[in-house]
Amino acid sequence: MAPLSTDPKLVPPTLSEALRLLGDRTDRGFTFVRPDGTERFCSFQEIHVEARRRAADFHARGLKKGDRLAIAVPDPDEFVLAFLGAVMGGIVPVPISPQLSFKNIEGYHDTVSHIANASGASLLLTTPGTRQFVEPAVQRAPKLRGLVTVDEIAPAQGSVDVAIDPTDLAFMQFTSGSTSRPKGVMVTHRNLAWNSESFMIHGLAKDSAVDKGVTWLPLFHDMGLIGFVVGTIFTDIPVVFLPTASFVRNPKIWLDKIHQHRGTITYAPNFAYALVAKRVKEKDLGALDLSCLTRAGCGAEPIQARTLRDFAAKLAPAKFDAKAFLPSYGMAEATLAITFVPRGSGVRTDVIEKAALEQGNATPATDIERDGNQELVNCGRPFPEHEICIVDEQGQRLEDRRVGHILTRGPSVSQGYFGEPELTADAFKAGPDGHTWLYTGDLGYTVDGEVFICGRLKDMIIVRGRNFYPNDLEWVVSELPSVRRGNVVAFSVDAGGEEGVVIAAEGLSSEAAALKQTIAEVILAHFSLATHDVLVVPQGTLPRTSSGKPQRRKTRQLYLDGTLARARVVQGTQASNDESGSGA
Amino acid sequence: MAATNRIELLTVFRETATEVAEKDFHHIVETASIAELGIDSLGMLEIIGSLERELRIQIPDESLAGIVTVKDLLNAVEARQSVV
Repeated sequence: MAPLSTDPKLVPPTLSEALRLLGDRTDRGFTFVRPDGTERFCSFQEIHVEARRRAADFHARGLKKGDRLAIAVPDPDEFVLAFLGAVMGGIVPVPISPQLSFKNIEGYHDTVSHIANASGASLLLTTPGTRQFVEPAVQRAPKLRGLVTVDEIAPAQGSVDVAIDPTDLAFMQFTSGSTSRPKGVMVTHRNLAWNSESFMIHGLAKDSAVDKGVTWLPLFHDMGLIGFVVGTIFTDIPVVFLPTASFVRNPKIWLDKIHQHRGTITYAPNFAYALVAKRVKEKDLGALDLSCLTRAGCGAEPIQARTLRDFAAKLAPAKFDAKAFLPSYGMAEATLAITFVPRGSGVRTDVIEKAALEQGNATPATDIERDGNQELVNCGRPFPEHEICIVDEQGQRLEDRRVGHILTRGPSVSQGYFGEPELTADAFKAGPDGHTWLYTGDLGYTVDGEVFICGRLKDMIIVRGRNFYPNDLEWVVSELPSVRRGNVVAFSVDAGGEEGVVIAAEGLSSEAAALKQTIAEVILAHFSLATHDVLVVPQGTLPRTSSGKPQRRKTRQLYLDGTLARARVVQGTQASNDESGSGA
Repeated sequence: MAATNRIELLTVFRETATEVAEKDFHHIVETASIAELGIDSLGMLEIIGSLERELRIQIPDESLAGIVTVKDLLNAVEARQSVV
């Protein structure tokens, strides 16, 4: 394994150097599709010039090397230029989601002020349109010196030369983890260089002469930002960026742009493939030709083989090749990617016996058709100079097909969370060989060095790429007057190919109907999360540990086998739409 | 489909929301808040996208940010219809 003091061989040592090296490219660059469908092409030369101009402006505003700049900018072009501007000036960009839900502006203010405070950002950059939504949060972030909008950036040609070392912090990635307290993963230039070399060269086997990325992924998350802005600059790959909202409103636009631009590389979480399979009609495929798409990556949330098969079947008439699927595994703490399958191998799965799995064994199922088997997707192996291992609860290495905690180490792995020594010590600590490993919090097993992900150690729930901790959901429900703390359990179930959140709470039968509605509303208001099901059960129904804590896994099991439903006071309905739909 | 008046527009919204979200929204009233519908923001965007195709309009992102109730949404749709 390469020591942390070594730079990768196949890419420049820093992102700033990588962009500088592309500074003469007038024919290659990024294409930004606007919400109205028009396109703006920015050559790498233009991006380099514009980034340097922004770097000079940020320095003129008093930001110095190492200072943090919070960025809440929804437009992909302005976001990319601001992000790279900060990087060129040695300033640490801190991307913040500019996305607004259709409610609960309070929760958004909390997130913005938390990230601003936790990162110690001295300036917040936004747009004139987004300003009104972030401004109230500024008052709650005492370290912020002010707020500036992208149109205020000085038009004059300026430049500032800042020496940047591979060990310098390149940016801070706040994880979408626990909504109550996102953590800032510290990512150095060296982390970026190593991971970019890993996934672009060893993983995707990029060919700068033919490859072109197409993405609608949000750029304030690692998959969109590192996958399509950073990795591509390190390896000279043009990219077409679509607004995330355009994709969600009309999923076919993703396919249209791949077709139109002859895209070869795309990437998305499972839910996006499901959305296409569901929404795009066969009659609308027309002359769509996706034969150009040789890498269709999938990651960021549990991958369902069934979803990918549905997608492939739906798009077979458009010449989509299922061999293009590239299941992978990664997380912000490892910069982005941890494992990849070999290019062209498509979706390979392992069908295992569920009963054995509960005992920690990934035993291949003898009868593949039998109910209760679980089909898991092969997420491939780690990159050169990186490794993974599986350990048991005592921290001892496990052999193949034994389920345990997935650990990873290597030069892509971050040094930890900014300003959070305790959380850092929890996740980045000595492994079985005494070296420091990242404890991913994911459960899985290996077969001949390839990894399969089974679930999460901490019962984390992932819905459409967003992570939720049951504790947070349970806490909010417990705050309701008619619910007692400790009498709520949140867990997830498979809801048609994606995770659905179920809340089970103990309550009085006379209040059950109203309580169900209130719980669904409070979860939606706090987390912008629609519940799949809410159950109000009689007191004493939820299974507990000997110390009296409700048991999530057992509750989930009771829910799945129907035991919990029989204890229901009223029949639950999906998100209680029959009541809320006619509400008001 | 063209929605020529407010009642028709509400009907189109009810049908679109029911189809996209796969929940019965046939009795939604205009004063209902989006938060009450039990749909997350991605789900709401899906419904809006479907409405846009149905009515052949495009609602700018800026006007989406202030939408809190069904009424707000229908107002935004009407504003675009008068543009076309």
